Amino acid sequence: MHKTIVVAIREYMVSVKTKAFLIGLMMMPLMMGGSFIVGALMEGRVDTKDKRIAVVDYTGRLFESLESAARQRDEVAIFQGEGAARKQILPRFVLERVETGGLDMPRLSLQLSNRIRKGDLMAFVLIGPNVIDAGSGTGPATLDYYSNTPTYNDARNWITSVLNEKVQQLRLEGAAFDPKVVRQLTQRLPVGNLGLVQTDASGNIISAVETNQAANFLVPFAMMFLMFMVIMATTTPLLNSTLEEKTQRIAEVLLASIPPFELMVGKLLGIVGVSLTMATVYLTGAYAALSRAGYAQFFPWQSIWWFLGFLCLAVLMYGSIFIAIGAAVSDMKEAQSMMTPVMLMVVSPMFVLQYVLREPASTLSLVMSLFPPATPMLMIIRQNIPPGIPVWQPVLGAALVILASLVCVFAAGRIFRVGILMQGKGAKISEMLRWALRG
Amino acid sequence: MIRGHMNVVEIEKVTKTFGQHVAVNALTLAVPQGSIYGFIGPNGSGKTTTLRMIMRIYHPDPGAGAIRVLGEMGSSAASDRVGYLPEERGLYKKMKVSEVLRFYAQLKGHRNPNPLIRTWLDRMSLSEYSDKKVETLSKGMSQKVQFISAVLTEPQLVILDEPFSGLDPVNADVLREAVLELRRKGTTVIFSTHDMAVAEKMCDFIFMIYKGNKVLDGTLDSIQDRYGQDTVRVRVEGDNFDARTIPGVEKVNDFGRLQELRMAPNTNPQTLLSELMRRGRVVHFELTRPSLHDIFVRIARPTVESMTSPEQTGAAHA
Repeated sequence: MHKTIVVAIREYMVSVKTKAFLIGLMMMPLMMGGSFIVGALMEGRVDTKDKRIAVVDYTGRLFESLESAARQRDEVAIFQGEGAARKQILPRFVLERVETGGLDMPRLSLQLSNRIRKGDLMAFVLIGPNVIDAGSGTGPATLDYYSNTPTYNDARNWITSVLNEKVQQLRLEGAAFDPKVVRQLTQRLPVGNLGLVQTDASGNIISAVETNQAANFLVPFAMMFLMFMVIMATTTPLLNSTLEEKTQRIAEVLLASIPPFELMVGKLLGIVGVSLTMATVYLTGAYAALSRAGYAQFFPWQSIWWFLGFLCLAVLMYGSIFIAIGAAVSDMKEAQSMMTPVMLMVVSPMFVLQYVLREPASTLSLVMSLFPPATPMLMIIRQNIPPGIPVWQPVLGAALVILASLVCVFAAGRIFRVGILMQGKGAKISEMLRWALRG
Repeated sequence: MIRGHMNVVEIEKVTKTFGQHVAVNALTLAVPQGSIYGFIGPNGSGKTTTLRMIMRIYHPDPGAGAIRVLGEMGSSAASDRVGYLPEERGLYKKMKVSEVLRFYAQLKGHRNPNPLIRTWLDRMSLSEYSDKKVETLSKGMSQKVQFISAVLTEPQLVILDEPFSGLDPVNADVLREAVLELRRKGTTVIFSTHDMAVAEKMCDFIFMIYKGNKVLDGTLDSIQDRYGQDTVRVRVEGDNFDARTIPGVEKVNDFGRLQELRMAPNTNPQTLLSELMRRGRVVHFELTRPSLHDIFVRIARPTVESMTSPEQTGAAHA
């Protein structure tokens, strides 16, 4: 036992003291927060050059309203801040009324398209002659926006909303309705999204609070992602370290002092320590960030022990598999091909993630979360989506994972014992299975 | 047991097979306490397998014999009282020298190895490398570090697989001196080597394994005695002198200035001498026993005439 601890401490120290560990520690927040950070940096760096838009108004009644909406926008909406800090953050839309000049619609469209190609215009809009009294008049009732920048939607969205509002108003007026009254009558009702009403200790009823839709999805997802990252970051290096011990003949020195099984368990315990360290750093960071932002109530205290427990089990399960592979192969290239199926198992929860997030309580979700390779991550998701799951489910899941981990650790122990001293060609999967079964 | 109660290692009819290949066949061997025991044999003949079995890294085939080390039959890892230097150096490249040594010592159950580490690094002129990473060491230096790791915890038995290979003469002397001192302190040393001169000079006992079978076991004297005085060392000056054409000469080892001639059985050395004198000017003529080198080669590369089966040569020593 003492020797197992000695091995575990070395494995832990060597992993934690490396630069790779520190870099890995910073990688995850960078990956997760990167897009936010970049987004924040990019804000205010929008291209504010005027955007020229030509408008062909076949109705003859809509251009003015567009133009006045554009004027209004230029005065208010495109600026941010007050006084000296006032700064333009959006481009101006400069509208240009185009007369048909006797050209038919296809020719006119071509002419305007060519102007866009030359860079003279950003887009043009064709307002069909019949858009106001749709269906009753003659000619097309279409509203078309042409541009060669299809991913830039701001102008199109703005035009759509302005024109629709105006057209609606004109239609209502045409039918002798007061648009104000109609708007009042057709107002949509928001639907509140609430949790359950409960009582406090003295029996008083506490009214339900508005549930936070983002938190409901984000917390379980973040927990699962954290577990996934920690498993990947800590278990895969075991393959390398085992392979190093094998190819550098360190294993022979070690085995002269400690039996192979104890050696392997020591390595696993060291890595369990590393993953707990990593998880603690992240969870502490997440709690600090949430507290700062005033969202401390979303920190998943209720499932934190389950999280850490499942993490340890997952690390034991996957770690032992990676050790077995490291002991059986003779170089990294062979290892890569054997890792693929294991990687598939590790990422398998990702495939069903969407379904489980939507239907955490369904029988299918339960069954999938009892499949040991996926249990740690899926159980954590299901536990963290309100209202959670009955406690027997994670208990059963944990029991199955413990069983699977034991099988993995023992099988890996046998493969390790044979493989670690074998030099030359690496073992095939069939050979590994034979070692695992026969011992 | 073969040599009474003072044996550090007792191997009894042990067989080890890997698949179809018999690596060690019904081996019996006893290593007396305080001796230096040399293991020789061609590559792949079973030396390392035998050493690994003594270290309990390998286990004999089930039911095929038993190995007792320091009186223990334990089936798990070797006792903490045995030090081991494997054939190929096994050190963590990214660890510091002192860290590796501390780790290996702790694995042997030693709780506070730091003073010993300092002493040994000093003795091996490696003090300044204490905080350097292993990957910065030269081959000879890492071999010395590996040696320290084997002897650091003052084991009762030290097993050294090829301890001198690849060392320059200075470092080889340092290591040899260290081994001899271990013996003076009562440590039993088993080492394997391809250097027959080293084996001859250092070992109290020599054990040779060939194709998994024991073919020699005993003191150098007893081994050489079995071959008798069938070797003549000569130096003959003369043009086109070629000893191979002389009747009664079975084999010639040409060392340049000296030549070692092996006489066929029942050859009279006097007849040989007069034949030599007839062919050139004899400067040196010495009737001697075969060297260990020669014995090794005779066994491992048998000529048709002197083909010696392991069974014939094997069981002799007692």
